[in-house]
Amino acid sequence: MIYKLLTKIPPFFDQIVARIDDDGLCRLTCTAQNPEFQTHIKAGAELLDADGNVMTDASAYIASLP
Amino acid sequence: MPVIIDGTNGITQAGEFNSDSSFGFKNRIINGAMVISQRNGTSSVTPASGDYTLDRWQVSLSQSSKLTVQQDAGAVTPPAGFNDYLGVTSSSAYSITSSDLFLLNQPIEGFNCADFNWGTANAKTITVSFWVRSSLTGTFGGVINNHNGSRSYPFSYTILSANTWEYETITIAGDTSGTWQTGNTGALIIRFGLGVGSTYSGTAGSWSGSTFYSATGATSVVGTNGATWYITGVQLEVGSTATSFDYRSYGTELALCQRYYYRIFPAATSRILAPIGTTQSATQTSNNLYFPVTMRTRPTAVEVTGTASDYSIAFVVSNTVCSAVPTFSSSTTDAVGTLNAYVASGLTAGQPATLLSNSSAGYLGWSAEL
Repeated sequence: MIYKLLTKIPPFFDQIVARIDDDGLCRLTCTAQNPEFQTHIKAGAELLDADGNVMTDASAYIASLP
Repeated sequence: MPVIIDGTNGITQAGEFNSDSSFGFKNRIINGAMVISQRNGTSSVTPASGDYTLDRWQVSLSQSSKLTVQQDAGAVTPPAGFNDYLGVTSSSAYSITSSDLFLLNQPIEGFNCADFNWGTANAKTITVSFWVRSSLTGTFGGVINNHNGSRSYPFSYTILSANTWEYETITIAGDTSGTWQTGNTGALIIRFGLGVGSTYSGTAGSWSGSTFYSATGATSVVGTNGATWYITGVQLEVGSTATSFDYRSYGTELALCQRYYYRIFPAATSRILAPIGTTQSATQTSNNLYFPVTMRTRPTAVEVTGTASDYSIAFVVSNTVCSAVPTFSSSTTDAVGTLNAYVASGLTAGQPATLLSNSSAGYLGWSAEL
């Protein structure tokens, strides 16, 4: 699986992340505070930015979140 | 237990009163009779580590695809007084290594066991009881852990006859050491071992400061291809004696489960999923729904089917099929969930809109699991 940051949209502006499963479907979206998301990123799951580029230091991004 | 009847005080009793009657929340296990299965119904699943199977019952797995879990697997007759059970079936003959673990867990919220007084000199004794049936015989294991695994009480039980329901009870003196949470976080975890390596196996019957997940010498269910291990009637209660199972109404049990996970799944087309919504643009809405019970904490994710056409937006007088799956927006409290839904075109900003299922598969799942 991979995770992808979604573009922030109104009316709320939390950073939302989509989980893309191996079959290409998105079955879960979450905030960056979601424990499952954080566990997977720490375990090495790939994180894409909103433009689809691989974030080279996803764990640092997680650590930077409030 | 003396019971005194007199004209002054009425009926009084001295000492611990623990009988077949139930008083409030006697059984601290939720879904101990395995009746609630919001995620998978009666379907067999091959869970990933950390997945919840039947409600409140989670697996921890060091290797993938070694077992399946299913409500009422194998369609055997449950023990008398029960309608359902959780069934584990081994998918291969896997020889566990020293660091392997295959576990069925239920974490218990601190609010629901704070009265145990664990971690103090007044720690209360508890008793665990359950019905179990396996194609294997021998000694099996499990453990009670605190939230971070720094306290462990391995326990063992014996299955004497294959493919026969057997009733097990284990009495555990309360832990006077360690840190045990008392709020809305995980405090106590009961785990049943389905194959645990030597690194994580400890001597049964005493508290330890090491991280153990089962008892030394326990049988590995995943070690035999096709082996079955079924369980129901799991009860964890204060006291040194196992009492009769604390039957709760289905509605009560479902509500207890929904504090941790809620799935709205109408199983029909054009049924409301999130009724309160407004259009934000020509292509996007923001929709809210109230959770049926206050959740343990604010959910941080929403689960969907993965297929956009399972969802639609009711706008003015027509339904428009979604162009992407709904996505999490926020949960501003532990009582309301908010999500965004998307269509290709045709909405007018500022108008009301309702999120519907557009097939019998459409659902929304919200988790606040421990």
